[in-house]
Amino acid sequence: MNVTTLFDTPAAASPPIDGALTIAGLSKDFTVGGRSLPVLDGIDLVVRPGEFVSIVGPSGCGKSTLLRLVAGLDTDFAGEIRLDGKRITGTDLDRGLIFQDHRLFPWMTLEENVGLALLNSSIPKAQRARIVAEHIALLNLAGFEKAYPHQLSGGMAQRGAIARALVTEPKLLLLDEPLGALDALTRIHVQTELQRIWLRQRSTMLMVTHDVEEAVYLSDRVIIMGAKPGRIRRIVDIDLPHPRERSLPQLHRLRDEILAELIQPVPTPGEPENLVRLPVREAM
Amino acid sequence: MRAHRHPAARVALGLLIPILLLALWQAQAEVGGARALAFVPLASIAAAFAELAASGQLLTDAVTTTSRALTGLVLGASAGVLLGIAMGLFRSVDRLIGPLYHAIRQVPLLGWLPLIGLWVGNGEAAKLLIVGLAAFYPTVLNTYEGIVHAERRNTDVGALFGFSRAQLLRHVLLPGALPLILTGLSQAIAFAWIATIGTELLLGAGAGLGATMSLAQAQQRMDVILVAIAITGLIGFTLNTLFARLRGHLLRWQPAIA
Repeated sequence: MNVTTLFDTPAAASPPIDGALTIAGLSKDFTVGGRSLPVLDGIDLVVRPGEFVSIVGPSGCGKSTLLRLVAGLDTDFAGEIRLDGKRITGTDLDRGLIFQDHRLFPWMTLEENVGLALLNSSIPKAQRARIVAEHIALLNLAGFEKAYPHQLSGGMAQRGAIARALVTEPKLLLLDEPLGALDALTRIHVQTELQRIWLRQRSTMLMVTHDVEEAVYLSDRVIIMGAKPGRIRRIVDIDLPHPRERSLPQLHRLRDEILAELIQPVPTPGEPENLVRLPVREAM
Repeated sequence: MRAHRHPAARVALGLLIPILLLALWQAQAEVGGARALAFVPLASIAAAFAELAASGQLLTDAVTTTSRALTGLVLGASAGVLLGIAMGLFRSVDRLIGPLYHAIRQVPLLGWLPLIGLWVGNGEAAKLLIVGLAAFYPTVLNTYEGIVHAERRNTDVGALFGFSRAQLLRHVLLPGALPLILTGLSQAIAFAWIATIGTELLLGAGAGLGATMSLAQAQQRMDVILVAIAITGLIGFTLNTLFARLRGHLLRWQPAIA
């Protein structure tokens, strides 16, 4: 397709200078049944401009909460989150968030949904229609502008959500298991598109995922989180050039290494460590 | 394709029971005696219809009653939607007005008639007040529910794109509440129509299908009553059908239920 080839080659852009995320001493408690429950405890993380960072970890390690905090949807936390030095105190168009479900408004067409994201943007009204059309084409959805979300397949709706998140050109894009609800084949397609778009836009990406293979394929770094309370256990560098081939043996090795780390029981204070260890798959 | 999926077959099926009832009616009328008084022969009803139509009274009645119902509906329903939005948006308004609304709602509309008669007499204002109230109650309730139960998944998106309160209302809360608001409105239409006929029956005087029924009862014109009843049913049915079409158009973004 025309559009695909047009954007297939990485833009020869200079390295991005915007979109540096700094998280320092971040902690967050939830109150459950009158008791305070730590969800995130002492998170420190620096994400470079234009970097693609994935977060993996067991359920309940607070990774989705972390994204909500960075997005500014929840401002009740201890510590500091800064984007390009500016302290985050609420939502802003310089940050986008993509959820596991597409969350397009069912009462609007795809075009209206994407356009609505620009309601408060500084982009002049005259240019908005063109920008919306460009982003719809970028996600290979041209021809479906007037479709309502229920008329789109799961993968198309999620690509629509990605178009809506990108149209404001956020410096930092947060992705909360964006492909988790898609079938395996569609997921691979959208992963490839995500990589292509990221190589073109070069905005900073912070993605939560359950799919270690996806994390390794797309990311510059993979953050392994532990639960109860949520904290960073390990950071794995994926020092391979983009775009990548899925079949790279290094990727598979790294995937197995991260999986092994995730499966390993972590001794938590107060709990005995005499658990049976499951055999970890050998690195290939 | 099953036979009753065909439009003509569907209409025929819908007419089956009414036609059977009419036949039964006519049979009762032909028994004669006391029965004939209650079950006026269909021919007499047709004659009364022709008489009322020729004199222009039927048209005047139908127009008067319909415009009265629609005026009351528009007044009551718009007040209802506005109050429902206010109660759904602002907890203070909900706390201030909610209990009063739910208490007053328990009083049947006709229970207000004596009081309203005392306040505004039994003219047009009284009728519109009753019809308006009939439309008001279900609209407030459904609008309120629709706004209050806005889904977090949708409001989060509004927050991400920095929507102001007004933008959130216009682009997220109101469209999200629209299915429920329309449910409230369809109830409001039914209630307003019933209330219009009811007030005309009770407050008599002037034109209107209910007033004609009331007068015909005093004159023992069963045939006229039956004509008025038939027209009332027909207009009510038409209003409902038209609204169902509008609703289907406004909610075209919803996946088909079938």
